[in-house]
Amino acid sequence: MSSQVPGDPATARVPAPISPAATTPVGRLAPFAAVGRWRALLRTREAALVLLILVVTSALALAEPRFLNASNLLSIGTGMVYELPVAAGMTLVLILGGIDLSVGAILGLTGVVTAMALRSGMAVPLAVLVGFATAGSAGALNGLLVARFGIAPFLVTLGTMSIARGGATVLTSGYFLSGLPASYIAIGRGQLLGIPYPILVVVGLLLVCDVLLKRWKPLHDAFYAGHNPAAAYLSGINVSRLVFGGYVASALFAGLAAVFMTSRLAMGYARFGDMAELRAIAAAVLGGASFSGGTGSILGSTLGVLLLALILNGFVLLRLSVYWQGVVSGLMLIVAVAVDAWRRRRNEAR
Amino acid sequence: MTDSILSVERVSKSFGRHKVLDEVTFAVRAGSIHALVGENGAGKSTLMNIIGGALPPDAGTVSIEGRPVSFADPSEAIEAGISTVHQEFSLFPNRSVAQNIFGHREPADRFGFIRWRALRERAHEILSDMGVDLDPDALVGHLSVGARQLVEIAKALSLRARILILDEPTSALSDREAQRLFSLLGDLKSRGVGIVYISHRLGEVLQIADEISVLRDGRLAGRTTADASPADLVSLMVGRHIEDITPPRQTSPGREIFAAERVGRAGAFSDVSFRVREREILGFAGLVGSGRSEVARAIFGADGLEAGRVCLDGHALKIASPRQAISHGIGYLTEDRKTLGLFLPMPVRDNIVAASLWKLVSRMGWLRPRAIRAQSAAYVQRLDIRPADDQVETLNLSGGNQQKVLLAKWLSVEPRVLIVDEPTRGVDVAAKAGIHRHLRALADQGAAVILISSDLPEVLGLSDRIAVFRQGRLVTILDATTATQEDVMRYASA
Repeated sequence: MSSQVPGDPATARVPAPISPAATTPVGRLAPFAAVGRWRALLRTREAALVLLILVVTSALALAEPRFLNASNLLSIGTGMVYELPVAAGMTLVLILGGIDLSVGAILGLTGVVTAMALRSGMAVPLAVLVGFATAGSAGALNGLLVARFGIAPFLVTLGTMSIARGGATVLTSGYFLSGLPASYIAIGRGQLLGIPYPILVVVGLLLVCDVLLKRWKPLHDAFYAGHNPAAAYLSGINVSRLVFGGYVASALFAGLAAVFMTSRLAMGYARFGDMAELRAIAAAVLGGASFSGGTGSILGSTLGVLLLALILNGFVLLRLSVYWQGVVSGLMLIVAVAVDAWRRRRNEAR
Repeated sequence: MTDSILSVERVSKSFGRHKVLDEVTFAVRAGSIHALVGENGAGKSTLMNIIGGALPPDAGTVSIEGRPVSFADPSEAIEAGISTVHQEFSLFPNRSVAQNIFGHREPADRFGFIRWRALRERAHEILSDMGVDLDPDALVGHLSVGARQLVEIAKALSLRARILILDEPTSALSDREAQRLFSLLGDLKSRGVGIVYISHRLGEVLQIADEISVLRDGRLAGRTTADASPADLVSLMVGRHIEDITPPRQTSPGREIFAAERVGRAGAFSDVSFRVREREILGFAGLVGSGRSEVARAIFGADGLEAGRVCLDGHALKIASPRQAISHGIGYLTEDRKTLGLFLPMPVRDNIVAASLWKLVSRMGWLRPRAIRAQSAAYVQRLDIRPADDQVETLNLSGGNQQKVLLAKWLSVEPRVLIVDEPTRGVDVAAKAGIHRHLRALADQGAAVILISSDLPEVLGLSDRIAVFRQGRLVTILDATTATQEDVMRYASA
């Protein structure tokens, strides 16, 4: 790859409205601008991921015909439903130059709190609201400590991770909370035109987030805030409000995943969402987000989640132990981060 | 020449097809200062990197005391007695002055433990030898930029450098610190050190250099001595005469737009009052640390204003954040473009609209791509930003063009009051003249401009009136048409 192809993080992350034709300087000189535009599109991070996904899909389909069964595909889809909102929230936080290690634990805590509320006889909508309030306050705590007091997000969210996971375990003494009302379970298991509700909700949510991030100024400002918070502040951007909002959104998205998970599985459990933060970070970084902030896209992270899900599904189909999941996710994270570091070094070198 | 401590003969260097240096020859005598001037991109840094061992030449030789040398890396050059003080320092802010001076060559006992007392004593020796009063135990991060520069030089001396290369050493120094540096250089000269001095500031080059070589487009454009005139140097650098570097000033400022009344902030400045009118450029002169940037940050809403008030069009205004300031039409071009001004990894276009994006959205906040594109293209053309492709990442632009992007970002806001802080620091002569023209044009269109600059000829040439700051107070306001550099300095230092 030459040094200025649009596959570069910096160009790939540039949202469409500002550069609908993310042409390279080279592409500019090409007599047919449209050709340059297509080439540019093909060189984006997202295109590379689609290609990789196609390769993995074909390999799996060849190695194990059951991969293409409708039931298998649906199970991949339902598994992704919990990962996607978490990854979307993580993407926003990473774009803003932060990191949120607490999402998996917030998922667990939200599920437990919601299940307890339901078991105490609370109406379903109210119980869900209580769940979101729990997630939202955990996110607000993160946001307050990072944006207002300037504490390193890594440390803040490491702390809230332990608090949320510990709190969920204390509340349940480690037991499963089952016996949830049928109307609640219907949220996770209900279908519209054969598609489970959660999939519909999550797809809608991702589309809205993707468009807002690319085209809506209040959210689009996140790219400026992530690249250079000081310069963004002096350019009239309310950086701390954005950062605060980012952590709240990230926690609420984890709460949404919790509602889907507890309703589909018909129980609350303190260990739900275990290591979800790691998978979300891996997916987001695969999708073009960087630890130095300012880059990433919802579409990219979605593709990252899909790639991870396919690889893990391959392990299941090939009858390898599911306990490999942690190993694989960790490996993918390290590979993604290594690629990120390599890209950055190359960018600095020129 | 037998008395040359360093000589460079017919050195060439290309990057790809681009010839950066073309048979450049120059020599430095022991005990003299040889200045190297030229516009950005003239090849000064490449030449410096070749001498310092960071780059091999394609052709030609570098000799020390008549013996040709070839360095595989910078450490070999240091070994041979060549030390380079870079524009961006290579110090460790969390280490003491003494530790920075010795780097990893800290004196250690035979078990590898550092001998702290010896370290401190040797550092003290070097510093007092330089006539510098610096505490060897002070953390470098707590020092002023000027003091850090001295630490860099002490480091070079601890390496027993016989040849010292300085790259834009005064760009971040106050006048007083710069004068101290010059006397130190004079001292080093008398001890036989050969000094290569790279600077954009022609005044100081003419003040201290014994010989001056001018580079233009990779070639030696000329060599002269300190009795040349600044105009001669400029014409050698750009290959043509720049007749009037500063555009003519406006003779009839309009009504008052902006006023600060007895503003203050504890520990930074107090009791500062001034007014700026339409079509007027008000200069802020003073030493570094005299409170000029602090006043700017406070009236822009970046830091809180603790006393006094500001008025726009005669109405008192409460500005609590840069966001509010910008919405009132007040802009602030910050001095440090890399950390406070630009979003370097982002394309030029995103940078140009960064502060004016709110004007380029629909009522619901949706971005308007076509308007954004047009706005960016207009400013790329107007300011002659190169390359003229606003999709290029800003970090790939030269310093002068980055500074133009920063100016475009603020012009794009269409400010009624624009504060510019060191708007031409580290940019070449041509870009500087362009920035001056645009600032004057902005004023001519009816805006008020506040120009903070440590470059006295710039403040005197571009401003209509000059407010002089000293230790957090505005001491006087001078008429720029009659004031002299001496007047300003007298009020600024006293």
